[in-house]
Amino acid sequence: MSKQNKIKTKKTSSYIPLDSPIDRMHPMVKIYGVLCLGIGCAAFPFLWLSYAVVAFLFCVAWRAKLLGRFSKFIIAFAVPITCMLLIIQGLYSPKNVTVLADFGFARLGLEGVVYAFKTVGTLLVFLGGFYLMTTTTYPGKLVTAMQDAGLNSKAGYLVLASLNVVPQIQRRIAVIQEAQTARGVEVEGTMSTRFKAFLPIIGPTVMSSLVDVQERGMTLETRGFGVKDVRPTSFVALYLTPGEKAAKKVLVAFLIVCVLFAVFWALRPVLGLGV
Amino acid sequence: MRIEIRDLRHTYPTGEEALKGVSFTIEGVTPVAVVGQNGSGKTTLVKHFNRILSPTSGAVLIDGVETTKQSTAKWSKRVGYVFQNPDDQLFLNSVRKEFEFGPERVGVPAADIQKRLPEIAELCGLGDKLDSHTFDLTATQKKFCAIGSVMMMDPDVIIFDEPTCGQDVEGSRRLSEIIGHLEKRGKLCVTISHDMKFVAANFPRVVALCHGRVLIDGDSREVFAKPELLKKSFVSPPPISRVSLGMGFEKPAFSVDELVETMKARRRKMA
Ligand SMILES: Nc1ncnc2c1ncn2[C@@H]1O[C@H](COP(=O)(O)OP(=O)(O)O)[C@@H](O)[C@H]1O
Ligand SMILES: [Mg+2]
Repeated sequence: MSKQNKIKTKKTSSYIPLDSPIDRMHPMVKIYGVLCLGIGCAAFPFLWLSYAVVAFLFCVAWRAKLLGRFSKFIIAFAVPITCMLLIIQGLYSPKNVTVLADFGFARLGLEGVVYAFKTVGTLLVFLGGFYLMTTTTYPGKLVTAMQDAGLNSKAGYLVLASLNVVPQIQRRIAVIQEAQTARGVEVEGTMSTRFKAFLPIIGPTVMSSLVDVQERGMTLETRGFGVKDVRPTSFVALYLTPGEKAAKKVLVAFLIVCVLFAVFWALRPVLGLGV
Repeated sequence: MRIEIRDLRHTYPTGEEALKGVSFTIEGVTPVAVVGQNGSGKTTLVKHFNRILSPTSGAVLIDGVETTKQSTAKWSKRVGYVFQNPDDQLFLNSVRKEFEFGPERVGVPAADIQKRLPEIAELCGLGDKLDSHTFDLTATQKKFCAIGSVMMMDPDVIIFDEPTCGQDVEGSRRLSEIIGHLEKRGKLCVTISHDMKFVAANFPRVVALCHGRVLIDGDSREVFAKPELLKKSFVSPPPISRVSLGMGFEKPAFSVDELVETMKARRRKMA
């Protein structure tokens, strides 16, 4: 790996450069994937579809050589959210009719549990998809793809910049935390000491992010993003292969089928098809 | 005060091997300068002194105690670290609060804090800025605010990471004063710097790093007498030293006065 490449991956985004078919894929297909799969699952009335798609995403992650990291990401996200939603929806949802278990102080209702799993499933599809897209796509390629699709360069730059925000804030927090420990703030140990250590750094982190936004605005001007009537060309050229064109069509078809089915399912009583 | 570095290696999670076996010992309170090109591992090295970083292998011992024995927060009482970028360090809304923050954290009594405050503010040139917001300070003042806020903790060792960077003549003079003040009070000062004139004027000992290893370590006159070796780390002795070496003097001069003196002495000898 060249020195420059190393710097790029260390400093600017969540992109992890690994040679894989997913990495080489046209970014537009990945954007279609995130949106079509996510919206399709959200619309679809049964929860099994989301989990089928999550299973599919695991296969994609394996092809992208990211199975380990992807699993970690999904577990770190899914477990706490599921527990939280199960407690809130399962125990207290007003929709609860069917009682699964009675704890005395509260009852676990089937409807709430189903709702919790449905929500978690949909979130996993969206976030998992988004995670895979950002880790397998060089940001420059992503923005070029969006511009090819008609997005203007200012918007493209902002998308690129916001993709960098999360890793940037993470790095910032790490640096500020270092500086705090060097001034006697204990960051290791119990939850409460850690939380206390975290409080004073929120201010500077937000501040420096604001400064960043301002600098970004200025960058747009100084780099000639304001220039009118000239269509800028990009350094990264992208073409859709026939396979990718087909993949795009399949994804759109998936979305349409899901939405049609959802509409059909919702109109069932009206259409006079028994419950 | 004794800092012992034993075959220290550090590899970052990215796989970058920043230190490849560094060994030397600092004893006493004579100021030490660490020099070397960008990326040679200077910051990585000094971040081990208060366990901001832990060795991948090897060890750093402060007065015989391995740094890994306690947390950075605990070490901060004894080892002060001034970051290169004051914006990483400052986060309160007045200079006074910045100055009080560190010592409060490590349990210095309020009365002692108030006693230290005016003296250190004066040394840092912030005597009349105590109630200013840190955003309203100039870049130089911010740097001194960061320095002062660490001095307030009264550690036995203070590490400055590139304090001369972006500093004007007045700033450099003030910094020299602070370094002198620390030595007088029995505090060790370890400083990373790219300004060789500043190094020559303030640091009797110089350690030069190159690609994660010690290139030369010794008395500043001896180190600056080897410009050819220093070149490997893209460091060149102060201009006046190069002139004196070029003229064939054995020891490099560190100031114009010195050079003039040596020349006069030579003439007298010849006459
Ligand atoms: N947080 C980090 N993660 C990965 N690599 C790093 C990190 N910090 C520094 N490095 C690398 O370690 C090497 C030494 O860096 P550093 O100690 O900052 O050098 P110096 O202070 O002499 O400029 C450099 O090659 C740098 O890229
Ligand atoms: Mg450095």
